[in-house]
Amino acid sequence: MALLLAVPLTHNGYIEIVFRNILMYATMAYGWNMIGGYTGYVSFGQVAFFGLGAYCSAVLSQFGVDNLLADVLVACAVNGGFAVLVGLPVLQLKGHYFAIATLGVALALTDIIANLDALGGTAGMRLRQVDEAHFSVYYYAMWIVALAAILATYFIARSKLGYAFVAIRENEDAAAVLGISPRRYKITAWAISAMMAGSAGAVFAPANGFLDPSIGFSVDSNVFPIVMALLGGIGTVAGPFIGAIILAGANELLQRYFIKIHTLFFGAMIVLVVLLLPRGLVWLFGLRGGVRTWLKSLTEYKA
Amino acid sequence: MSAASVPAAPEVLLRISNVGMRFGGLWALSEVSFDVERGTVLGLIGPNGSGKTTLMNVVSGVYRPTTGEVTYRDRRIADVPTHDVCHLGIARTFQVVKPFASLTTRENVAVGAMYGRQGGKRSTRASFERAQELLELVGLGRVADRPASDLTTPDRKRLEVAKALALDPEVLLLDEVMAGLNATEVDEALQLLRDVNRRGVTLIVVEHLMKAIVSISTTIVVLAEGKKIAQGAPADVLAAPEVIEAYLGSRWRKRQEQLKEIEAQREEAARVQPPEAHG
Repeated sequence: MALLLAVPLTHNGYIEIVFRNILMYATMAYGWNMIGGYTGYVSFGQVAFFGLGAYCSAVLSQFGVDNLLADVLVACAVNGGFAVLVGLPVLQLKGHYFAIATLGVALALTDIIANLDALGGTAGMRLRQVDEAHFSVYYYAMWIVALAAILATYFIARSKLGYAFVAIRENEDAAAVLGISPRRYKITAWAISAMMAGSAGAVFAPANGFLDPSIGFSVDSNVFPIVMALLGGIGTVAGPFIGAIILAGANELLQRYFIKIHTLFFGAMIVLVVLLLPRGLVWLFGLRGGVRTWLKSLTEYKA
Repeated sequence: MSAASVPAAPEVLLRISNVGMRFGGLWALSEVSFDVERGTVLGLIGPNGSGKTTLMNVVSGVYRPTTGEVTYRDRRIADVPTHDVCHLGIARTFQVVKPFASLTTRENVAVGAMYGRQGGKRSTRASFERAQELLELVGLGRVADRPASDLTTPDRKRLEVAKALALDPEVLLLDEVMAGLNATEVDEALQLLRDVNRRGVTLIVVEHLMKAIVSISTTIVVLAEGKKIAQGAPADVLAAPEVIEAYLGSRWRKRQEQLKEIEAQREEAARVQPPEAHG
């Protein structure tokens, strides 16, 4: 993570954007990890929070507010509120039903924004940016947001809150018997998750300088974080970061050298991860038990 | 029941009044009533399918009874959300154990210590210390750092007890925690339960092992086909003809009566022999 702080020193705009995107996806992967990994509620709608965060910044920019800290704080507040509001009904659902509902929320929000002329509709909105010389400020902001997501995950995983999330993932009824209110803690997890994704969006929009529904609510932004968390290891602190670096790096290289078939490689990789690394790289590389654990993990999630 | 009770009189902690529970067309429980007094051990027995676990689920707030009500210190359990039942002071174990598989044994217990009745006052660290104490108490100290999924069935039962104790309960409901234990382990378990009871925790014990339940219970309630058929001191209850009939059937009862006539001194041996029971 500290190494990534040195990226802007290359003075290479392309590399900086590549790494800024890695940090952005990593932040979203941490967001997904909180609800999908720790709490066990697999969401396919995290892009809704990313997009919402991005639109918060775009709207603030229209009002002449171009402060990244303000962007992130507003995005966190709006996302937290939105997550609680949507979570009340949606988090009553479980498993596939929850996953579909979250996808529905994301699609609905996309359509709503695309039809709101005040938000630029499908034509999108421009955001004022800092001048070229200070462009790295967006990179550093994304770095801070990613670090905050990692630290938050680290501390939550060791706190009472984290144990409530994991207990709900393992067995919601048993968790309730031990005094954990499933509803309250699921919504908490989702709100935290939404704030992480929203923060990434809030920094992304001004960095990108332009926002429309297809950018704010892109399929990539929805799927990448999930695959990253899966690849690295869900429900772990290091997993999403490792997954983000490897996956985004691989994606970049494949796009560069195998542009015609890169999506094929990418798809194959996802299949391989799911089949061979159901617990992610973190588990494979001995952090928790060697080859035998891996062999055991292969059959674990098969019905 | 008056709110200001006389201190000397036994205090009714839990009152089960006229509880009925229907699943579709089947009444799993009907018109079950009894009181549980503070500091006692109530044994709940009955043949398979007699409604013991259903009653445990009603008392612990997992099921809402179709008729009647369960009150705990004058509060209706049905009005309390599941996750607040333990905050009232009621904890339970599950017959089908429910460990958090990916957590270690100690973490499993610590979660209870964090969110139970005294959980608000405990730091994460204090919860882990409390968990370790309880694991030592139930004899799981040596596997504290192992994933709960690695535990053997008897150890998982012990874990259930430790988790329930971590909630600092006033009433502890134990659903077949001794099933699958050998004779020595049953003795250990009984000793543990006596210790827990001596510390002021009221126990409700569901168990198939007749010897165990007789030795520990103050009062025994017998269920058969969802109805309460007997209640009283262990020796009296087990000698009751309805109870023998419920367990062994009417033909057995007749034969036992014949045996009694022939050989009165073998009465002891003709007492209840529970059928080979599963779950």
